[in-house]
Amino acid sequence: MTAIVTPRRAARPGGPPGFGATVRAEWIKFRTVRGWVTGMIAAVVVTALLGLFAAGSAHIGCGGALGGPARTGAACLPAVATGPGGEAVVDSYYFVHQPLASHGSITVRITSLTGKYFPAGGPGSSAQGPAGSAPQPTAVNGLQPWSKAGIMIAASTKPGAAYAAMMVSGQHGVRMQYDYTHDTAGLAGSVSGASPRWLRLTRSGDLITGYDSADGTHWSQVGTASVAGLPSTAQAGLFATSPQYLQISNNELGGSSGSSGASQATAGFGDVRLTGAAAGRGWTGQGIDTAADADYPVQGGGYRQAGGTFTVTGSGDIAPAVPGPGSTFPTATIEDHLVGVFAGLIAVLVVAAMFFTAEYRRGLIRVTLAASPRRGQVLAAKAVVIGAVAFVAGLVAAGIVVPIGIRMTRAQGQYVMPVSLLTEVRVIVGTGALVAVAAVLALAIGAAMRRSAAAVTTAIVVIVLPYLLAMAQIVPPGAGDWLLRLTPTAGFAIQQSIPAYPQLNVPYTPNAGFYPLAPWAGFAVLCGFAALALGVAVFLLRRRDA
Amino acid sequence: MSRMLRAEWTKLRTTAGPAWLLVAAVAATVALSVLAVAATSCPAGSGCPVDTTKLSLTGVQLGQALVAILAVLVISGEYSTGMIRITFTALPRRLGVLAAKGVLVTGLVLAAGTLAVLGGLLAGRLILPGHGFSVAHGFAALSLAHGPTLRAAAGSVLYLALIGLLSLGVAAMVRDSAVAIGVILALLYLFPIVATVTSDPKWQRHLEQIGPMTAGLAIQATTGLRSLPISPWAGLGVLGAWAAGALLAGGLLLRLRDA
Amino acid sequence: MEATIEVSAVRKRFGPKVALDGMSFQVAPGQVTGFVGPNGAGKSTTMRVILALDAPDEGRALVGGQPYQRLRRPLSQVGSLLDAAALQPSRTGRNHLMWLARSQGLAAKRVDEVIGQAGLADAARRRAGGYSLGMRQRLGIAAAMLGDPPILMMDEPFNGMDPEGIVWMRGFLRSLAAQGRAILVSSHLMGELQDAADHLVIVGRGRVIADTSMRELLAAASGDRVMVRTTAPPEAVAVLRQAGATVIATDPDGLTVSGLAAGKVVAALSERAVPFSEVSAHRATLEEAYMELTRDAVEYRAAGAETAR
Repeated sequence: MTAIVTPRRAARPGGPPGFGATVRAEWIKFRTVRGWVTGMIAAVVVTALLGLFAAGSAHIGCGGALGGPARTGAACLPAVATGPGGEAVVDSYYFVHQPLASHGSITVRITSLTGKYFPAGGPGSSAQGPAGSAPQPTAVNGLQPWSKAGIMIAASTKPGAAYAAMMVSGQHGVRMQYDYTHDTAGLAGSVSGASPRWLRLTRSGDLITGYDSADGTHWSQVGTASVAGLPSTAQAGLFATSPQYLQISNNELGGSSGSSGASQATAGFGDVRLTGAAAGRGWTGQGIDTAADADYPVQGGGYRQAGGTFTVTGSGDIAPAVPGPGSTFPTATIEDHLVGVFAGLIAVLVVAAMFFTAEYRRGLIRVTLAASPRRGQVLAAKAVVIGAVAFVAGLVAAGIVVPIGIRMTRAQGQYVMPVSLLTEVRVIVGTGALVAVAAVLALAIGAAMRRSAAAVTTAIVVIVLPYLLAMAQIVPPGAGDWLLRLTPTAGFAIQQSIPAYPQLNVPYTPNAGFYPLAPWAGFAVLCGFAALALGVAVFLLRRRDA
Repeated sequence: MSRMLRAEWTKLRTTAGPAWLLVAAVAATVALSVLAVAATSCPAGSGCPVDTTKLSLTGVQLGQALVAILAVLVISGEYSTGMIRITFTALPRRLGVLAAKGVLVTGLVLAAGTLAVLGGLLAGRLILPGHGFSVAHGFAALSLAHGPTLRAAAGSVLYLALIGLLSLGVAAMVRDSAVAIGVILALLYLFPIVATVTSDPKWQRHLEQIGPMTAGLAIQATTGLRSLPISPWAGLGVLGAWAAGALLAGGLLLRLRDA
Repeated sequence: MEATIEVSAVRKRFGPKVALDGMSFQVAPGQVTGFVGPNGAGKSTTMRVILALDAPDEGRALVGGQPYQRLRRPLSQVGSLLDAAALQPSRTGRNHLMWLARSQGLAAKRVDEVIGQAGLADAARRRAGGYSLGMRQRLGIAAAMLGDPPILMMDEPFNGMDPEGIVWMRGFLRSLAAQGRAILVSSHLMGELQDAADHLVIVGRGRVIADTSMRELLAAASGDRVMVRTTAPPEAVAVLRQAGATVIATDPDGLTVSGLAAGKVVAALSERAVPFSEVSAHRATLEEAYMELTRDAVEYRAAGAETAR
């Protein structure tokens, strides 16, 4: 048990102890208090257990009554198409197409875009019933903001295929979209007989360029898309689609209920010119992923050709699928499994605040400052130690609960929004970083306030309470968004795995997992608070007598 | 008992902490209520499903944290200095000491809570009509003469007092103030957070029925009572059960453990 | 109520560590009983058990014939000072005494009386957090005196006191004992108790090593040796040996004589006209006596540890 201790370089007499020595000293202080180590381990365990509880508490049933035999669990997993990037997509539309070689173009004039929608039932009934199987709802005339019609070059007619498209939309003017997640604006204004829109797509290998024009002679380029994996014979043609009609109403209790239904868009095309098409092939009309048991509300479709003009009617959407009220089937996100982080975080915040306030309880601070008189350095060393420990705790907890939780959730028949590996890593590592920075914030609050009860309460209230107020919609949504921008809670944005796509008309609410700030921006807000608190703490530490 | 009460009362009024915490609890409650009320508006021509009474009492969510600190420090403060041994030397009946502390915390919180709740309601009464919640829109000005509003207001005051007792019990159990506060805020805040991500509505409802805060704050609802996870008074009863359980466990440990 | 403390066969363990191992002793009224032993011997634990702060695993402790929990107004029966630092720092000394007084149903007048008695009048209205250690001790003593109790128990009351304070403390304890109170004072420094305690309970390893009066202890440690200083050592040695004493020359003009009382030594030397400048009975210091006792305890401890293996 006896060991000869040779002084490290940092501890050599003659010079002041270096930062490394102070960090080592603080690390020894931390690991020799059993309660703190236990607290950190408890944080990991609680985070994992709560996450798995939340994952395991879902009971999905499907089928029955109209949809065949009742099923539960994994048998209920919806067959959701995934786009080229691996993301879940909705890919339902009507497509009038013919094969296109690796070099060619398609040009059209669009003269009209009209639509109607089918509000289903009253509030509370989410119109998940496929069109046709339920009593026919009455139609209301009107376009959806993101009803769209135009031209498309697609890798194939399979749902989730790679594509690029130029289109007119209900309220967002001309757009170029490709591979579901990309969206570029073109000419503004809506289309009509008096102000038609000319659209063009040219293909050169994998590279597709989109142009628009208001007169058919003056063209401007809207954007280019490199569509990977486009086969030498792709499908080019006209499409129309219209996303679900969605109305969300908030109730008094802070919850919300939505009513939704299918919608249809009909577009008039003229001057269809196709170059690079295989000779002797005509147009084929096809509803893409519009089967009756589709997971997205659709309402028929078709096309008419009269000479050079086409009328195409379609229903559905060509867009990424998102969780929350906009989703038409039960979904979970990978970060749903991280709900336990709040419990773990509270334990971490308690330990972190005490890591400093305990110094004041019995006058230990005077010994500490006698050993390392540079007060800023002591705080920095403590921040390094608690930050590192908290990072590991958060990383381990998230690293356990996310992969296992995803499997459990899927096994129960709940669809988990797929994300790229990079995103999953960002969510897991980001959780570690979030816990670490929150711990440093709590430490700094502890150093500034010196009293454990007040420091712990402040840390929890500034980090957790805003989340609760916003998520449980205790304050109105607008106020909730500001809470999630301006308080340390903003840091939780780092856990958001599905981005809020602007090309979808769905409510991106906090409790559906959408934060008003981008992941790293939100995290930066939390870091800003931690830095501010550290600054105030150093100032007070230097100014006050120990 | 009266000696214990007088001793504890002397302790409370001879340090500045408790008084400041009570002032802070009132200020925080009113401030958050004012913010919540000011951030809410009802644009003309739209139906606003807002429970104006509940909105005006939003501040209780924050005020309860300060009430919890006060109650925790009444016990943990003595443990951290070691003064608890002097207390138990002067008053060897430990349960009596806990009871005396409970009586005083309850009394102080009831007084401060009344001010805080009235402040919140006053903010709602003054600000909300200017934000579209006017009589013309079908929103009556907030008034305690309205039965459900009176119930929500009185219930919120009782809610704060029960939070104080719950905190006292937890502090008697864990003794350390930081840990006690952590446990209490976790108890309060975690149930609703876990409930929001629980996908099964049945579990979600159960969580809201047993969570001390989610159940207790059902007392604030004046509209949509039918869709509440638990009825107002039953919800307050759930919180009462939590407080009673914590006090019981705390008292038992206080008696069994060496001081 | 009789003013006594009785501790009988108290055992207490904290986890694997045995703190009290059959501690038994009594404290009688009218005298100051010193409670001494090395650090960790169980003095503070014993006092906590007496005050019912810690529950003994076995045995019991009574004050005035009753368990402490049964006392209706405990501070009027036992005054105690355990840890002078155990204060809410933000409360003034006077207010600290005030809540204690309220807890016993005592009037505010009594608070001012004990403040005067403890010599705290100047500091009483300042925050206790700013007190020096000595001032905290005085505040603790004031708290102990609040109920004018017949029994007083103090844990290391000399800690942090300046020499003036120590002298004051000794006189204070003696005067309280003279009023018939039973006083138990612990210390790990015997010197502090030398002129204060009448009786000693010496403890080590959680049990009593010696329970004796101060006089007996010193006499036992001193033996019957007499120191003689003379200008004619050889003559003195001859005379004293003849009188039946054992004589050792300790230095050129000093002799240590045993087996003959001081008075008889003087008589023998005077009779033969042997010159001497000093004859005095050797008086062992309390430290010497204590070291002798605890050395035994240490040896016993080492032997016990070996046989246990």
